[in-house]
Amino acid sequence: MVIDRRKAILFTSAAALRLVLFFTFPSLPVLLTGRVEISTPVTSFKRLQEGLFLYTHNVSPYDGGVFHQAPLLLPLFALIPPSLFSPLTAILYIGLDLLCANALMHITESGESGSSRLFTSPRKDMKWDSIAVASAYLFNPFTIATCIGRPTSVFTNCAILYAIAQAVSGKPITSMLALGLASYLSLYPALLLPPMILLCYDGKARETKALPNATFSTATYLSVFSASIAWFLHLSKILTGGSTAYLASTYGVHLLLPDLTPNVGLWWYFFIEMFDSFREFFLGVFWLHLGAYVGALCIRLRTQPLFVITTLLGIFAIFKPYPSISDTSLYLAMLPLYRHVFPLMRYTFFAMATILYATLLGPAFYYLWIYAGSGNANFFYAITLVWSLGLSEIVADSLFAVLRDEWEVERPEMKGKDVRQI
Amino acid sequence: MALISPTILALRRDPRLLKLPPYLSALCLFIGVVWLCLLPLNEYSRHTYISENALLPGQVHTYFGGSEKNVYNAYKYEVQALVGKDQKATYEKLSDIFISAGLRPARQKYEYYAAGNTYSGENVYAILHAPRGDATEAIVLVAAWTNMDGDLNQSGVALALALARYFKRWSLWSKDIIILITGDSRAGPQAWVDAYHDEHTSPLVAPLPLKSGALQGVVVIDNALDHPFESLHIVYDGINGQLPNLDLLNTAVSIASGQLGIGISLQRMWKHNDSYQERLQTMLRGMVSQGLGHSSGPHSSFIPYHVDAITLQAVGDGGQDEMAMGRCVESIFRSLNNLLEHFHQSFFFYLLMQANRFVSIGTYLPSAMLVAVSFTIMAIALWIRSGRPPSPKAASTDFEKEKTEMEVVRKDGMTAIIPKENLTILERQLFLPVALVVAVHFFGAIPLYVFINSSRNTLPSYFVVFTVLNSLLPTVLANTIHYYTPLTPQHHLLLQSFSLLVLGMFLATLATVNFSLSLFVGLLSTPLSFTGYSFSYSVDAKEVFPSPARKYVSILVLQLLSPTVVVWAVCYMWGVDLGEMLAEAAFGWKVNGLWTQVVIWCIWWPAWMLGGVLVLV
Repeated sequence: MVIDRRKAILFTSAAALRLVLFFTFPSLPVLLTGRVEISTPVTSFKRLQEGLFLYTHNVSPYDGGVFHQAPLLLPLFALIPPSLFSPLTAILYIGLDLLCANALMHITESGESGSSRLFTSPRKDMKWDSIAVASAYLFNPFTIATCIGRPTSVFTNCAILYAIAQAVSGKPITSMLALGLASYLSLYPALLLPPMILLCYDGKARETKALPNATFSTATYLSVFSASIAWFLHLSKILTGGSTAYLASTYGVHLLLPDLTPNVGLWWYFFIEMFDSFREFFLGVFWLHLGAYVGALCIRLRTQPLFVITTLLGIFAIFKPYPSISDTSLYLAMLPLYRHVFPLMRYTFFAMATILYATLLGPAFYYLWIYAGSGNANFFYAITLVWSLGLSEIVADSLFAVLRDEWEVERPEMKGKDVRQI
Repeated sequence: MALISPTILALRRDPRLLKLPPYLSALCLFIGVVWLCLLPLNEYSRHTYISENALLPGQVHTYFGGSEKNVYNAYKYEVQALVGKDQKATYEKLSDIFISAGLRPARQKYEYYAAGNTYSGENVYAILHAPRGDATEAIVLVAAWTNMDGDLNQSGVALALALARYFKRWSLWSKDIIILITGDSRAGPQAWVDAYHDEHTSPLVAPLPLKSGALQGVVVIDNALDHPFESLHIVYDGINGQLPNLDLLNTAVSIASGQLGIGISLQRMWKHNDSYQERLQTMLRGMVSQGLGHSSGPHSSFIPYHVDAITLQAVGDGGQDEMAMGRCVESIFRSLNNLLEHFHQSFFFYLLMQANRFVSIGTYLPSAMLVAVSFTIMAIALWIRSGRPPSPKAASTDFEKEKTEMEVVRKDGMTAIIPKENLTILERQLFLPVALVVAVHFFGAIPLYVFINSSRNTLPSYFVVFTVLNSLLPTVLANTIHYYTPLTPQHHLLLQSFSLLVLGMFLATLATVNFSLSLFVGLLSTPLSFTGYSFSYSVDAKEVFPSPARKYVSILVLQLLSPTVVVWAVCYMWGVDLGEMLAEAAFGWKVNGLWTQVVIWCIWWPAWMLGGVLVLV
């Protein structure tokens, strides 16, 4: 196997940077692990350690309401010898980041973002190569902070990226297995199923140069997905001693939001403020809102399923129950694939400035609230609103740019002209 | 909405609008400064008031006096007898005094290294357990052995000991009272409060053998005088410009001036006639002290732990004896004893212009924010400008006037012909400017590291060397960049845009934590917005790269306002020794966790450096 020299340099430097941060600043992982922007109740590394301790001492990790993560993570981390726990987890997380970057490079090289089966962008030649996309992911400060903070969402991100990479290279079965793993780990990736089926179908069609039977393919993909989930759940049941109590404290927590620890999302403050009698109703509304994008985007952007997935990842980073900057880093990893529509985006500077402002003010206001005591919860919540505003600006703007790109194929005479609402 | 948006969209391209931002930015700066000057007026500042009803300041009769005076005199004699004795004997004696008052003493050793000096000593303290409490809350009475000027705090320590003995006799305390005699005024309190919250990292700081509950308030007594004093000077600035709750300060002021008739002064303003000028001066002194963020008294170390603290300093020669100060402390403690919750009711962000006048954050924050916003406005303007294509070659000299490409636009039934250049947006080359901005900000770590870790003897010489290097560095950097990749006009605009964006962002964030520092750095950086042709909106090389005349003026202004020159100027103006100041800053970082140096070297210095490079490229 020939190893690309540029790829080797990129991966070595990214790994070296992370190793330096892990081992020359020993207080950094501790600091970042405790940050609410990185660790949520369902992904926190500290809680994982707590669960691991209970698991290795033969106590059910789901007793006590601290650990809300998937059971299969426990035997994985239990394999790591306790004496070398922190250096080996550091290496594990660095490896995961590199795997993610590798998947991203596969996705870029497939060229799916510029020309899918049903649509070829007139701008497709203006793109970044796979090294540039991978380095944009690996050297993104959010990705680095996530890697050092070691939340388990990195596993989910890696599984999602592999599902996409397998789908675009015409391997629907492994793609569905990877998506099954992602959904098993943190539930919300299940919403990516419809666009992923479309992507798998397009990938398969491109691979075989003939149109497969739509109903049959969908049924196959669905059954593989369900089978993989059923298999993971079965394994989990065996691991937790045959009880299904883990379901309530993993997926139940995602669905019902019992833990209102602050995070960068919009749910926690809303549900703190709400009267309990309205809780069920608004939980339903919030989840319905999150799910509503899936169908609409799949229909409107049928020709570009990869962009549907990208946009959904952006929407999840804003609106899911326990978002963190790790979800943002996943969205920002996918976005450079759409380099060719960047010139059509109109508010990049403002969106980026908003996000940078929120990145600085968020920790400052959290400090004022929690440590200095001179602020209150509204300070931090206001900044999470700004953060979400910045992200939604990017989501909406990139959506606009892609639609505009499609529109210019249909109406070539309108190229370069202003659109306006009538 | 549908009707408004086309109008707004059309306005977007209006050349007048594109010319507006630099003026808007200058206007923001102007309003920011004028706003600050308006604050001392009656219309903008407010009379202080007690917000927490539970405090009831000055509502109790104070009994500290009479025969307590003899006890006090005896303790003062003991303290004076300890002058010249070795430290061990001093701490032994203090412990004995606590024991004789019926309190159990405890001791803590500490040692810090900073700027090549060793700061070591011992804290002695005792806990008076509350007869009516459950040891979940405590208030602290502090007297440092030596005060901030290094003088023996003879009357202060004696008074604290006398009060400890006196408080012990009362049965009304519902919070534990900790009486703490620290070894000095800066390292000792920090070591004690760190250890109290188990945050002491250095092995040279010992843990505390005795502890009580959550600290609710701290009063520090500083009286190095050997004669009756004239008035009380209240010091309230904490580390990094954090302030104690205004209620604590108001309580002290209303008790001292209202109940006991002792005059109050703030920020070393010994004479205050309530004129505009004096109010402004008090406010500005407060802001300078807040901006520096250094420890201004033993109370400063407590404030980062969200423990509200003030220092009462006896000043002047007058008719108030020490017992009056004791009664003042007694009354403050009775008020603190009444507290039902931690101080939270009143303001944490305020500027005082007199003991009983203040402005709150809502009134003063706009001035710092306007300064920060002025940078962001310029950043946005430069970004928009950088996206415009260069205008076609100037045609005035040519006989055949080149025809500008025109575009017919129809809108709302009207037709207009617009030069095509107004409609297209150029792709921006982002990599080089972003990389430069990030790299220069990381370089800030070098001076920071040097000035934190050098010793007191070498600091001044390092600073001289750095000042010289620093004045040459923009030229070197500009030439290096020019040698490898000559900057295009667009690079130039983008570099300035990102640099200003980052500066504006940091300053806005800083303004929420330390208003004064943000404002000062912002005001000193204002020229950075206006170097080059900031009032033009063309992207031609001659409109972007400064002409020689402009270049020299800009260089002169930037060199005069460089961080190093400002540090020299400040030392000269205040008559402070440069080495002393740098050593204090290093001490602040190592011991108190002071962030001012980080702001200077990692925010201000990189912005200045990029500004210098932009002028010279």
